[in-house]
Amino acid sequence: MTNTDTEIEEKLEEEVPGNEKGAIVVHIEHLKKSFGTKEVLKDITFDLKQGENLVVLGKSGTGKSVAIKCLIGMLTQDEGVCEVFGKEVKDLKETELKELRQKIGFLFQSGALYDSMTVRDNLAFPLTRVLHMTDTAEIDKLIEEMLDNVGLKDAIDKMPSDLSGGMRKRIGLARTLIMKPKIMLYDEPTTGLDPITSKEISELMLTMQKKYKISSIIITHDIACARITSDRMVIMKEGVITAEGTFDELESSKDEFVRAFFK
Amino acid sequence: MEQTATSKSTKILEEVGVQMSFMGGFFRNIFRSGFEWNELIRQCYIIGYKSFGLVAITGFILGFVMTLQSIPTMKEFGAVSFVPSMVSISVIREIGPVIISLICAGKIASSIGAELGSMKVTEQIDAMDVSGANPMQYLVVTRIIACTFMIPILCVMADALAVCGGYFGSNISSDVSATLYFNKAFHSVEFSDMVPSVIKSVFFGFAIGFVGSYKGYNSNGGTESVGVAANSAVVNASLWIILLDAVAVQLTSLFVYN
Ligand SMILES: Nc1ncnc2c1ncn2[C@@H]1O[C@H](COP(=O)(O)OP(=O)(O)OP(=O)(O)O)[C@@H](O)[C@H]1O
Ligand SMILES: [Mg+2]
Repeated sequence: MTNTDTEIEEKLEEEVPGNEKGAIVVHIEHLKKSFGTKEVLKDITFDLKQGENLVVLGKSGTGKSVAIKCLIGMLTQDEGVCEVFGKEVKDLKETELKELRQKIGFLFQSGALYDSMTVRDNLAFPLTRVLHMTDTAEIDKLIEEMLDNVGLKDAIDKMPSDLSGGMRKRIGLARTLIMKPKIMLYDEPTTGLDPITSKEISELMLTMQKKYKISSIIITHDIACARITSDRMVIMKEGVITAEGTFDELESSKDEFVRAFFK
Repeated sequence: MEQTATSKSTKILEEVGVQMSFMGGFFRNIFRSGFEWNELIRQCYIIGYKSFGLVAITGFILGFVMTLQSIPTMKEFGAVSFVPSMVSISVIREIGPVIISLICAGKIASSIGAELGSMKVTEQIDAMDVSGANPMQYLVVTRIIACTFMIPILCVMADALAVCGGYFGSNISSDVSATLYFNKAFHSVEFSDMVPSVIKSVFFGFAIGFVGSYKGYNSNGGTESVGVAANSAVVNASLWIILLDAVAVQLTSLFVYN
């Protein structure tokens, strides 16, 4: 175990209330959200436990992205509870929200790399802007370590436009993980990738989760990704959670809608 | 019918509200710690230096054409000797800042609108926000300040080049010595001509940066919204320049030239 790993563990022990395995880090209850007259989330209830990988499965447009955007304060729910580390997100002040966001990593559907910066600057951006690190040697060391983690050490001086879709996802993952988040939110991490790259990304997510002891919510339609990464799964249908269970339980479900995902 | 009218006016008021809070956000973020000096310099380079060629050509031709156009008319009144002063006064007081700002609205507001718009659409702005960084400070404050600084500088340089263009014009149509021309041109220009024009262009620059950033930052939807953002940035920035100019003319004639 390297030096940084132990440091992270110590930090985890200090900062996260109820850090013992099984403690609830995200609590969502009867969440409702409408846009205009359109009811997107009708009644969403689920918990995320410490160290767990929760996969959220659901058809396109059922509001999966909306649900996790409420978690990070990009959207505010109309009704219901949305708590992270025991605190209601919509009641947080600006500085508290900023602190919370440092503890949560969000991997966007597209990777969302900053086009005008090299890979190095992309990874340095949160370090210098959010953690206010100034020591370039230390920053470089962290960047190299992270790129090594995702297997893209050679891409350090490339521009995002020179990277393939899978590489962008990996760099996006590296940029999020470099902040050492306690919770990761993945929005369709494997969509638009070939099955082999998808599998690599899924396995990478699993390795990183083990290495940095992250709890994650993974939104996906990709059943192969769900098989590799999930400890537990919930299925969303038209703004409501319709099923919950482990991968094996849901795979052998009698429900037509649930079975349709596994075909 | 009535309902659409009210919903329309609600929309307009809402838009004004959003713009005001965007402006509030801009001013608040100027004074936050961690000002992005490097990015500001980069933006000044992109906005100022990279527009210089276009602005220089425009300014030069402006003076050149104005001179060529006015010489025949002035000849009828036997007032050709007033051409240099006329050109320099009208360019410096009015035409220079307005034309250059309109040109820059086309070049700069559209590129800011498109750049921020595409960053918004590809979730880069959201990613910055969600990581705990401050996209307003990094992207918007730097661009608006860079425009506010660079547009006046570009305008002054264009004014100078327009006077040179004017000399070129009169030299082609009649034989005027450089000393005589520039003497005449500068004799009639006073410091009180420069100041209002520079102040005016500061506001034009702010309008260009603000409208471009606002339109880009608040674009939503698919890729076509990037085009919409760029387009409405140019249209709105140009409109603002004309409106601000109308106000500025009133103010200067009240306080400076009376
Ligand atoms: N900011 C918003 N304003 C208005 N409507 C929105 C907004 N965000 C999402 N929606 C609507 O909410 C619905 C759910 O969107 P969401 O992005 O959560 O779907 P999703 O389940 O993530 O689908 P996908 O798998 O395709 O990403 C969509 O119909 C969308 O139009
Ligand atoms: Mg989505």
